[in-house]
Formats: sequence, C-alpha cells, structure tokens
Amino acid sequence: MKNEIGINQLKRRDFLRAGLVFGAGAAGLAAGYAAVPDAFARAVYAAKKEGITNDNVLVMIQLAGGNDGLRTLVPLADPTLHDLRPKLAAPMVSQALPLNKDYGLNHNLSGIKGLWDKGKVAIVQGVGYPNPTFSHFESIRIWETGDPTRRQVDGWLGRTLATSYDSNGHPLTGCACGATDVPGALRDLQATMTVIQEQKTFGFTGGTEVEAAVGALYKGTPGIYGALFDTAIATATETVATLRTSAASYQPMADYSDKVKLVYSSKNQLAAALQLAAELIVTGTGVKLLHVTLGGFDTHYTELSRHDDLMAYLDSAVSAFYQDLAAHGKADKVLIATWSEFGRRPKENASGGTDHGAAAPLLLIGDPAKGGLYGGEPSLTDLDSTGNLKYAVDFRSVYQEILGGHLGADAKTILGTTYDSVPFLT
Amino acid sequence: MALAKQVLTRRQALVAAVAAALGVGAVRLLTPTLTNLSTRSGTDWASPLGSESARIMQLLRRATLGYTPAHLEAALSAGFSKTVDRLIETKPAEPPALAAASTPDGRFAVTQLQQWWVDQMLTTPTPFAERMTLFWHGHFTSDYRKAADNTFMYWQNLTWRRMAMTNLGSMLMQVTTDPAMLRYLDLATSVASSPNENYSRELMELFTMGPDNYSEEDVRQGALALTGWQLPRPDSTAPAPGTGRTLPVYASQKFGVFNQKRAFKGSITFLGKTGAFDTQGVIDRILAQPATAPFITTRVLQHFVTGQPSPSLVARLAGPFRSSKYDMKTLMRGVFTSDEFLAAGAYRALVKSPTEFMVQSARALGATKLSKLIVASGSGMGQTLFDPPDVGGWPNNEAWISSNTVIERVNFVTAALAQATSLPPSSEAVKHQLDGVVGPQTVSMLSSATDERTRWFVALASPEFQLK
Repeated sequence: MKNEIGINQLKRRDFLRAGLVFGAGAAGLAAGYAAVPDAFARAVYAAKKEGITNDNVLVMIQLAGGNDGLRTLVPLADPTLHDLRPKLAAPMVSQALPLNKDYGLNHNLSGIKGLWDKGKVAIVQGVGYPNPTFSHFESIRIWETGDPTRRQVDGWLGRTLATSYDSNGHPLTGCACGATDVPGALRDLQATMTVIQEQKTFGFTGGTEVEAAVGALYKGTPGIYGALFDTAIATATETVATLRTSAASYQPMADYSDKVKLVYSSKNQLAAALQLAAELIVTGTGVKLLHVTLGGFDTHYTELSRHDDLMAYLDSAVSAFYQDLAAHGKADKVLIATWSEFGRRPKENASGGTDHGAAAPLLLIGDPAKGGLYGGEPSLTDLDSTGNLKYAVDFRSVYQEILGGHLGADAKTILGTTYDSVPFLT
Repeated sequence: MALAKQVLTRRQALVAAVAAALGVGAVRLLTPTLTNLSTRSGTDWASPLGSESARIMQLLRRATLGYTPAHLEAALSAGFSKTVDRLIETKPAEPPALAAASTPDGRFAVTQLQQWWVDQMLTTPTPFAERMTLFWHGHFTSDYRKAADNTFMYWQNLTWRRMAMTNLGSMLMQVTTDPAMLRYLDLATSVASSPNENYSRELMELFTMGPDNYSEEDVRQGALALTGWQLPRPDSTAPAPGTGRTLPVYASQKFGVFNQKRAFKGSITFLGKTGAFDTQGVIDRILAQPATAPFITTRVLQHFVTGQPSPSLVARLAGPFRSSKYDMKTLMRGVFTSDEFLAAGAYRALVKSPTEFMVQSARALGATKLSKLIVASGSGMGQTLFDPPDVGGWPNNEAWISSNTVIERVNFVTAALAQATSLPPSSEAVKHQLDGVVGPQTVSMLSSATDERTRWFVALASPEFQLK
C-alpha cells in the first residue's frame, strides 16, 4: 500500500500548481484565530485536580484481536497444555525462553527476555474481569473504559487527561501514534488529544497559508460536530508546529524496522509508531500518555506462524524503542504496558488456531517496572464453563498501579473505586 | 454569558451582511437544549428542509455518492418522492469487468481493485447502488489481506451491488458461502470434529442480531451446524510468473462447496430450538429472532438518518421490514420517507465517510479522473476500501474526526483542485452543495477569496461540506 502511489510527491507537486489565494480578509480572520477554540474555554475546569507535576510517561501497546497469553508466557511443565493443543503446544514449549522452571517467554521475544534479565519486565498473570464477554468490540470497550458494566463512555486514559493534566491548549499531552482515529482509551469530551498516523505526511500541503485559512474556517462551527471539528483543526495545527520542532532536534539512537513479513499482515506500522513516540518523548514535547496498536492477533487459524511473526515484530519494535529511550537518557521515565481485549481458548480448533478466550498475562516493560511474575498462575485443568482460563487479577488493579504509582494520578477518582494492589513498580 | 451573547450577535451581523451579498442563508441562534453542552458550539445549522430542493439535495447527499448539476437538475424536476422511487427501483448498473481479476490466485494489486470501484462510483448512472454497496461492504465486511485473493474480493463487491436491494435472508445465505468471507472468518477451515467459532459469532453479533441476544452456547452450536463449507474448486491452474509454480484460477464457481464429510451430522439446540439444522436452518432461526430486524434497521439509520436513532423510529421501520420478509426496498423506502429523515434535527447530523467526502467532491467538481488520488488519500482519513479496520467494518460520524483526518481531508481538496483543469462556477458550490446554509466563517472566507479555485477550496474544505 505504502509504495504504490507516491502520495507525498503528488501532494507537493499539486500544491505548487494550486496557488490558492485567500485574500486580505483571510489574514484578518486567521489573526483572531486562537489555538484554543470556544469549546475549550467552556470546558469544565472546576473538576480538574491539581495538575500532575512529575514527567513520567505511559505508552500503552494494544495487541488488537485477542493475544494468545499461553503463547506469550508459555507454561513449560504442564502436560495438560499438550492435551489441549496437540498441534500448537510442542513447538512453543520446546523453543520458549525459560524465565524459571515453570514459565518461558515466546521464543521470538528475545529482546524482551534481555530486558527481563535486567529486571525491567514485570508480567502480571491471569488478568481479566468477571463474566468475560467474547465479543472483540464489547471487550475492547470494557478495557478502554475500565468498566465491565458498560455504562462508562469515556476512556480511562481520556479521563486521566481530563482530570489530571492541562490538556486544553496542549493537545500533545495525549497522543495516538500510527492511528487515524482517537482510540477509545484516550477518548473524553473534556480532554483534547492528538492523532498522528505518520509523521512525514502530517501537515497541510498548502503550508502556513492553508493552515491559517483552515484555522479561520473552523472557528465556532455550528452543529453537533462543530466543537469536535474545531478542536481537531486546532489540535492539528498545534501538532504540526510541535512536530516541526521535534523532528529537527531528534536523532533516533536505535534501529526501527517495519520491514517485517507477517503471514497475515498487520495494518499497523508498530516500529514507526514507537519511533514517533520516542521522538515526542525525548524532545520534550510534554507528551504523557501515548497509545499505539499492533493488530492481527485474532488467530483463529494457522496460529503457529502468524503469532510467532507478531511476537517477533513486537519484540523488535519494543527493543528498539527501549534502546532509543535509554540512549537519550529517558528510559527511567517511561513505562510500556501491553493490553489486549482477551486471551485465547486453551483448546485449539481444527484450523490450527484458537478461538476467543479470557484471562491473559500483561507485560509491563521499562525502568519503572520491577521485574518478576505477578498475579495468579492460571490453571489449565480448572477452566470456566466456556473452557477458558479463570482470571486472578482484575485489569483495573493494573490500571490503578499505573495511574497512582507511575503517573501520580488519583486512581480512585479515575476508576471510581479501589482495587487490589499489584506492586509491579519500583 | 454576556460575552458569549455579544460574540454571537456580532457573528449574526456579519452573516447577515455577507450572506446578503452572496445570496445565502445564515445560521440561526439556537438555545442549546441538549444536555451535552460541551460538544456543541451553541448554534445549530438552520435547517432549509422546508424547501423541496433542499430535501432533494439531502436525499442525494445521503443516498448517493454525490451529484453533478445535471443529476440535481433531473432530480429537482422529478421531485422528492419520485426521486426516492427512482433510486430504489432502478436496477444497479454493472461496472465494467476488471480484467486483472483473471490473474491466477487473485494476485493483482489491490489498488487496481480499489481504483476500479472508485471509477465506478465516479461515473455510474446508478449512484444509489454504489452507496448501498459501500454500506454492505462495511456491514458484511471482509479484508483483502486475510481473504488473500483479490479476485474473491472483486466477486464480493459484485455480489453486494447485485444483491444490495434484495432481502436479508438471501444475502445471509450468500455471505456465508462467499469465498472471501469463507476465508476472512475461517468458515472454510471449520470442521465438525473441532469447529471454528469465528463466523458463527460474528454472524450473530455483527451481521444480524447484535450482542446480548444469543448465548455462548448458541455460538458453539451454531459453529457446529455451519461446518462443511470449503472454498470453491478452481477451474484450472496457471503458472505464477517467474516462480515456476502453478496457482489456482478461480473463474466459474463463485461460492463455496459443501463437503458432507466435514459437516456435523446430528441435532443441536440453537436459539431456543432443537433439531438437525443446516446452514439455511441456522439463517432461518436468526431471521425468526425479534432482535434481527431492529438491529439491521438501526445500522441503516445510523448511516442514512442519525447517529442515534430513537427506539420508536427503529420499531416503526423494523416491523414492516420483518413482515416484508426482510425486503431491503421496503426498509430503504421507509427510511427515506420517514419524517425523521427530513426533520430539522437531522440536518447535517451525519459526517460524510472519507469515501463519500472524496467522491462527492469529485462529482461536485465534475471531475471523473480522480480515482487514483481518491484511492491514495483514503488511508489517512481512516478508510481504505477492501481493508476495513476490523470485522466490525468502519465506525462512523464522530469517529471520522481527528487531528490526522482533518488534515488529510484538507490536503485532498488541495490536491483535487490542483488536478482540475476547469472548474464549474463556485456559486454552484454554495447553492447546490452547501444548500446556501453557510456559517459565518465560511461566508467570510468565501467573500475574501479572490479567485474561483480558492472559493472551491473553501467550499470543499469547509465544515459544511464534511456533513450530510
């Protein structure tokens, strides 16, 4: 897709021919245009707590489609695994990278295993929630909002932005890299955040004149989508300006490669998204909450090669990201956390894959993590009525630790109540 | 509050002055009555839907992929209700055959397929069929990556166009055995000894009933009953250029084959009934569920009327839809002739999808050669044809709005105008694409622009044109 059309060349060339002339009036309108449209001015500031003052950063990596926990953190010594997965078990057990006598990491997670050896990887086992749904969309929404009762509409990171950061006028406080729409976890009508699919194409091809004209055009827009549009344009303009500065002062100190051959290719360029995240972090743009996605985990068929590919891709992108942060002296500030809507069924299906499951392990990676295994070991013999792993740790326990322990936010306000503690931070 | 009022008053004055000069209507002040104040700017678009021409323009904007002045002229002289009839009753025009589809194993660039469809959208005499094909492509969705055969994706597109206005039952039988779908949701590899649940689940959750209307046991039992389907048999094989290998050529049979040996034989309990259900039996059970008609009706309303249809409107349309044996003409006629379709609150209540926005821009400009640009520009706005984000298809309305997508929309307009060799008068844009209902900022920008190209830029990049 990327190399077929040459949209960048098209855009640049086309603009040179466009020669739009907005006239004198436009300059006047644009001058009155502020980066903060009316909607912000009316946002509810009263609810905002004291802003967070530390400069810690969170990077959430969504493994979309339902990541197979048993192929991520592999049980090494449980014979039941071979009964449940006659085709899938043997290769994953024999190749796993042992962490102790009972568990090993997927053999393609060698970079993350290296970080584990340095005590920088915490793995929380058996993470889930009561009465799991097996719908991708419902479970994604539950994880995004932190609410299995599905009443909450705002995302848990969006609520964090709204309550704990001054995101209004600083849209880069929260950023989705490698995406085109706002991920549900970051969504909140009282907060602003930016979305950057690809750094090199992020900008108005008409340059500052078009930028100013569009800024003037989207001001006080009527209708139900008015404020959303105005905010998006203001955020875009602000982000363009920030990227201009950050790109000039950033030099990657690691090898990020998206040249990976995936059996069922993911749409996401994870390495490029993490490289952009690194740029935003190391150049001091004020970014605090980042979200990136790697898709392709819905491995209902031929899981063996597909999941191995995804693990390798995840590993290389995360390893480069950590190395880059460390080289820039920022590794102590950044916590990387994976999440996925569910794990997969312990029993394999006839397509050489696995169907939708429930509890699964989460990885927390970086200097702020205190290496080790946490949570409860899932039993392969004591499955629930749907044949799935029972959860031992509520996913909001993990959120609570991230919010309170890492970001310094008021987790109880954001999550509505308190959960059992999982002390995976240093 | 005093400040806000003052600002709005000044805006109104500005609008009145410039609007008079341009001959356009203005926004009106509206006391915000919705509870969710933070998402509103305090004013709303003034609905022009009291006039027949505005009603027709709204119909064409939502039910087709845009119109040229000639299309609009024809619709205006026919009137609203005759235009509804014509849209619904006209047989879909077939696109020209895609020559690349005979490539062995469907191994041709997906951009060829995307461009072929966009070309059809830009030039078809039956644009409602293309709009419905786009709707079904997002509903019964498949992506070319997992289908792994672009000929299968091509067939699926032809199928939705031909079947778009038939009935849900026929479509469900077709989608279940559609080759791209057999791959996309794994039914082609599901066997009775160990069924794959993927298709069974999404058939109920996303295609027909919605969550909470079936149990996990129904998913498992349905998966059993649906086993036995395989991909069609290839007609021949052909050499793969430069590899020395041969690849299958699929040509005549465009649906899956049923293999008794792989199928489950026995009784299941599915959605409350026990029996030996085959695929048709599963579909019949689903069609017998009270959740099915409201679910499809809601999805249609969200695309054509309002993001949040009222339960009473859903019920009013779902009843006749079900009793007509799920006839799509009955449903779509009901949608377009409902009071809600033309209610003031429905005016500009939907955000154009990227494809709608781009194709409608091209049609407004009378440009028929923009398919390459349109195909290249979709991804940054969040919509790549034949490549939905997931099995749920594309989200809509507010999900189309982000910092990334608004930049890409503006950049598309810049590029499209640069390619245009001649432009219709820009007064056309305001009158016929924006209904003459233009906000104060747009009015100011239009009046200060000094040439036609810039006025077209303002019109197509404006918030007004992003809405439908």
